[in-house]
Amino acid sequence: MPNIDRRIVFILVALAVIIPMLLSINLPVSVSEPTQNFYDYVEALPAGSTIMIAFDYGPSSLAELNPMAKALLKQCFDRDIRVIAITLVVDAPTLASALIQQVAAEKGAVDGEDYVFLGFRPGAVQVILGMGTDIASVYDTDYNGTAISEIPMMQNITNYDQIDLLVDFASSDTVESWIIYANVQYNQQIAAGVTGVIIAQMFPYLQTGQLVGLLSGILGAAEYENLVGAPAKGMQWINVESFVHLLIVVLVIIGNITYFIYRTREE
Amino acid sequence: MKRQVPLVLCFVFGIAMIFTQFSPHSFSQGIYEEVISWALIIGPFALVLATVTLIQTHTARIRRRTEHWQYSFVVFAGLIVMVLIGMFFKPQNPMFVWLYNNVQLPMDATMFSLLAFFIASAAYRAFRARTFEASLLLITALIVMMGNVPIGNLLSNDTASEARQWILDNPNLSARRGIILGVSLGVISQSIRIILGIERSYLGGGD
Repeated sequence: MPNIDRRIVFILVALAVIIPMLLSINLPVSVSEPTQNFYDYVEALPAGSTIMIAFDYGPSSLAELNPMAKALLKQCFDRDIRVIAITLVVDAPTLASALIQQVAAEKGAVDGEDYVFLGFRPGAVQVILGMGTDIASVYDTDYNGTAISEIPMMQNITNYDQIDLLVDFASSDTVESWIIYANVQYNQQIAAGVTGVIIAQMFPYLQTGQLVGLLSGILGAAEYENLVGAPAKGMQWINVESFVHLLIVVLVIIGNITYFIYRTREE
Repeated sequence: MKRQVPLVLCFVFGIAMIFTQFSPHSFSQGIYEEVISWALIIGPFALVLATVTLIQTHTARIRRRTEHWQYSFVVFAGLIVMVLIGMFFKPQNPMFVWLYNNVQLPMDATMFSLLAFFIASAAYRAFRARTFEASLLLITALIVMMGNVPIGNLLSNDTASEARQWILDNPNLSARRGIILGVSLGVISQSIRIILGIERSYLGGGD
């Protein structure tokens, strides 16, 4: 049975990525229920509330997760919600720090007063459990080396009791660790933004209410940008992803038609 | 002694940690907090262990001249440069940030981006409706793929999105819950075996 040369498939994929980017196509994006719930939860928090954001992803998942993290940071700074950022992933601090500083500069947020980035500590589960007792026992300084006791916004924050929502942006199973150890153990409210490949495993936690909301891959990022009113990379890339998905669907259909034609001939 | 001491430690700490989950008494919670502090200190040693293992593996590759052994020098170069800059100048140093943004980030992103090309090619070649089960998988995958992007909803008048949501909320959720319950029961039984010293493979030595 003949197959299209794989190099032709590669060229088609490249074109499906490049052409929509050059043409700046804007397809309408509707908002799914888990994304709406996420947004509504954050909107309902009063000014002065505190959100902890865990940047649990490395450079390989940056394209999917950075846009949603950026949209959430914008929403937080616009609504005077304080942000404590951390990461359980060793290669995330540099990208997380850069993203927070970029959005903070755009919104005029002040380091130590409106947000703080605590950085990375090894031992994911121990870090989650340790912060349930005392955040300062895990992070004695922030990413820049400033003692926690000297950071103004950390003065009245000891553990999860003072955190109104924990958001995990993840490309692996860290969401489940946060649910098992922070939600079940300390009753911490959790929302998540995850890469496309792990969306399916999050749905049981949405049904039980252990996740108050969920952003699903680039689609979730585009939906959230839409809700926050700040269309950016998520909106741009979901259009690109649209055409790549369409191409793959067409290729699968062509492959199956060819397969059935040859099978009928052989019979 | 070499085997008995770890077994006793595992039993004592295992039982103690289970006990702390069922007792809100301050003594019990004190033990819990103390053990968490110890675990936080022990955690970084895993990174040291990983680094030592990496060095041992690549030293052996170079010594034995195994296939592509020359690339092990690149591993050492990357490791030494990043560790030295990180240790002596801190990760916030512009040199460290430059290396991260211009070497690690594009290489990592490129590796992941290549998946799109291989997935497209593999889907075309391998995704065939050969059996009933394969056909079911194929149809489900196509619906979820189209429901996951705006163009699918535009072409189907939102039917693809609704169908995707139904698949994720019902068959997917049921199957995932079954897997979670199965895995959880497995973890509980394995933990009991480890605490009681029945399962000893974590000690090494093959028994």
